Amino acid sequence: MTINYLIKGPITPDFITKLIGKTTERTDTGGHSIFLGQVRADEINGKKVRAIEYSAYEAMVKLEADAIKDTILSEFADARSIDIVHSTGVVNAGEISLFVLVSAGHRKHAIEACSKTVELIKVKLPIWKKEIFEDSSFGWRQNT
Amino acid sequence: MQVKVLFFGVLVEVTGSNIKFYSDAKTMGALKFMIQDDFPEIVHYSYCISLNNEIVSNDRILKDGDEIALLPPFAGG
Repeated sequence: MTINYLIKGPITPDFITKLIGKTTERTDTGGHSIFLGQVRADEINGKKVRAIEYSAYEAMVKLEADAIKDTILSEFADARSIDIVHSTGVVNAGEISLFVLVSAGHRKHAIEACSKTVELIKVKLPIWKKEIFEDSSFGWRQNT
Repeated sequence: MQVKVLFFGVLVEVTGSNIKFYSDAKTMGALKFMIQDDFPEIVHYSYCISLNNEIVSNDRILKDGDEIALLPPFAGG
């Protein structure tokens, strides 16, 4: 199963199941840490978020995601593999827009490496989100 | 010579497009002035600039076929 970094629309439970199922292909790992990013129905100035529309600079996402993986794998010698999947296009509130799976020899390193991977994704990947409100108006959000 | 400029995020709305070609911009600094002339509103937005997929902070000489992108603050995750 080839995983590209970006997929159109939400990351479905079925797709997540397939990604997790892939972990059984390895026997040199003892722990896997998974992070799921979900679209939250925030209320901003009295208006509720219905969905987020993600856009990305695709060529640069690939380069930066490759670099994140290299950084994590060199920093955590126990980390064996890293999967990153991010949505583009419209993802409704409640749906999943980010999937990160870090596999390591031991749980502690899996958890720490996963956490750092997510932090780097927030800072490094050229992805933007437009919040679409229930009245169809919209606004741009940036990471803090 | 010609370079390609890509706009992302809120800058797509500010400029009304996601791509524009510029001729005769010899440096990044000169290109920035040309973009600001075309889209004066852009000065009110923060963004960084990439040249051929690499973020650059200082001025650069441009060459034919370069791809420049204007990147507002990232918001992935």
